[in-house]
Amino acid sequence: MPAAMEEILLSERFRIQGNDFEHGGEAATRVKSILRDLGIDPGVIRRLSIANFEAEMNVIMYADEGEMELQVLPKAVRVIVTDRGQGIPDIEMAMQEGWSTATPEMRARGFGAGLGLPNIRRNSDEFEISSTVGEGTRLRYTIHLN
Amino acid sequence: MADHGHRIDPDQCIGCIACAKVCPTKAIRVRDDVAGVISELCIDCGACVRACRYNAARPTTSPPSDLKKFKHTVALPSLTLYGQFGKEVDPDQVLRALTEIGFDRTYDISWMCEMIAAATDAYLTECRGPWPKISVTCPAIVRLIQIRYPALLENIVPLETPRELSAKLLRRKLSTQMGLSPEDIGIFFITPCTAIMNSILNPVGLDQSYLDGALSIRDVYAPLFRATREPRPAEAGDGFSPRGLLWAMAGGEIAGMRSANTLTVRGVPDVEYVFDHIEAGKFQSVDFIEAYICPDGCVSGGLTVEGRYAALRNIQEIVKRLSKRAGIPGQGRVQEEKVRSLLREHFFDLEEEIKARRIQPLADDLRRAIALKREQAAILQQLPHKDCAACGAPDCVTLAEDIVRGEAALDDCVFIKIQQLEQRLHPRKEGEDE
Repeated sequence: MPAAMEEILLSERFRIQGNDFEHGGEAATRVKSILRDLGIDPGVIRRLSIANFEAEMNVIMYADEGEMELQVLPKAVRVIVTDRGQGIPDIEMAMQEGWSTATPEMRARGFGAGLGLPNIRRNSDEFEISSTVGEGTRLRYTIHLN
Repeated sequence: MADHGHRIDPDQCIGCIACAKVCPTKAIRVRDDVAGVISELCIDCGACVRACRYNAARPTTSPPSDLKKFKHTVALPSLTLYGQFGKEVDPDQVLRALTEIGFDRTYDISWMCEMIAAATDAYLTECRGPWPKISVTCPAIVRLIQIRYPALLENIVPLETPRELSAKLLRRKLSTQMGLSPEDIGIFFITPCTAIMNSILNPVGLDQSYLDGALSIRDVYAPLFRATREPRPAEAGDGFSPRGLLWAMAGGEIAGMRSANTLTVRGVPDVEYVFDHIEAGKFQSVDFIEAYICPDGCVSGGLTVEGRYAALRNIQEIVKRLSKRAGIPGQGRVQEEKVRSLLREHFFDLEEEIKARRIQPLADDLRRAIALKREQAAILQQLPHKDCAACGAPDCVTLAEDIVRGEAALDDCVFIKIQQLEQRLHPRKEGEDE
């Protein structure tokens, strides 16, 4: 992407608390409402919502705490999710559908089908992930606006 | 757009903020002591009609005098009506009462409900995703999706409602049978809510409603009540579909369906919770969702008279009794193969695609919209966060939005205004301590 297209027009940050299932999905919902006010295409909002929800739940399930940052660029919307937590030892494995480390308790709540990360990648146009075991994980995904 | 299912009478409105506070889509503002509805945001849920203590927010349902405009009149009652007069009163007594108050004919839609439930079952086995599919029965839900969840329009089951489909077929049949021209026949729904009235005034999924109007249950309640209390010879009363009758209450639509992979959602907060999650890709393992704006489905509609708990119980008792009489408890008699072939012939299809109703963003240009969004956040910081609504907007966030849209001023806020007056009376010099 050319540099001018990377200009951050709007940045909003939301804190996510690990293990806080009660408020799970709130950051994703707030991002959605901002994008709606800005008149972003509903299809883009839907794809980003799917990705955001997965990313937010990952933080809640596996990390101590994290942050979701929404960036609105001239021709794209981008989300960066960083967390402080256990990290992912084998990213390649985690990106495979059906692979999950969810505990039985998490599965009982309907999570842990092993679709989280692949689902984020599938719903975004650009996707990057980096992780350090014992420190945390950083996701960055972007959807282009047309 | 024409009228909604309700209207605020400026002569009766005293400018209190009761309606603006309860409106789930924040569609009401009080300006110059009169409440006004922002038409494109209104989903016709009727919350304002329930909240108004001054009889200013009123339904726009048809006056009974509208019956005189037609040569032949038909009452097409909401199934909810059957549960309004106590559990001992049979549906056919209610139908007879309707003819006694002036209708030439009545038509029961319980069979059509059972048919459409079967058609929905068939549709679910033949359609493609996205999942889950969502029912179109509650017009307020459809409108909520159009304005707030446009991405979910693809999830809507594109089959006509029992009331419209019944009216369509009935008009055709009666005009042939009786040699009347179709416009001489007046078909009126007896409605439990303002949302259905709005669906007649501003139809979705079809160009023009097949109904000529709707009478509010409230408006016809007293004469009907009296008529149902008069002793009458007993009638067979097996002309009803017990399964179809269940549609009067939340959970009834799916109760008659074969697909067990279903869910009922009711009330605005729960509906929003579920729709937000569907948008986020959740609930995909569910096939079908029936959703209602009202807390118990149609029995709790704003224009009903009987309390919702009593009305629920009445319907359940009536269904039990009719099932027993029909011999096969809870069993419908609609032929599934027939329904499936009708579905393939597009008999049940909506005539038009349901389209999104785009809400005006802060600005069409992205940069401008973001600038306004920032301004809104800055204004919000100055506001007291008490959500008192004295300014006429339901809360501080909405006032801040109205200000950046140029529709309100900062000193509409009474707290800001008091600050400004104090400042004028006791001016403080720069840098001076309090």
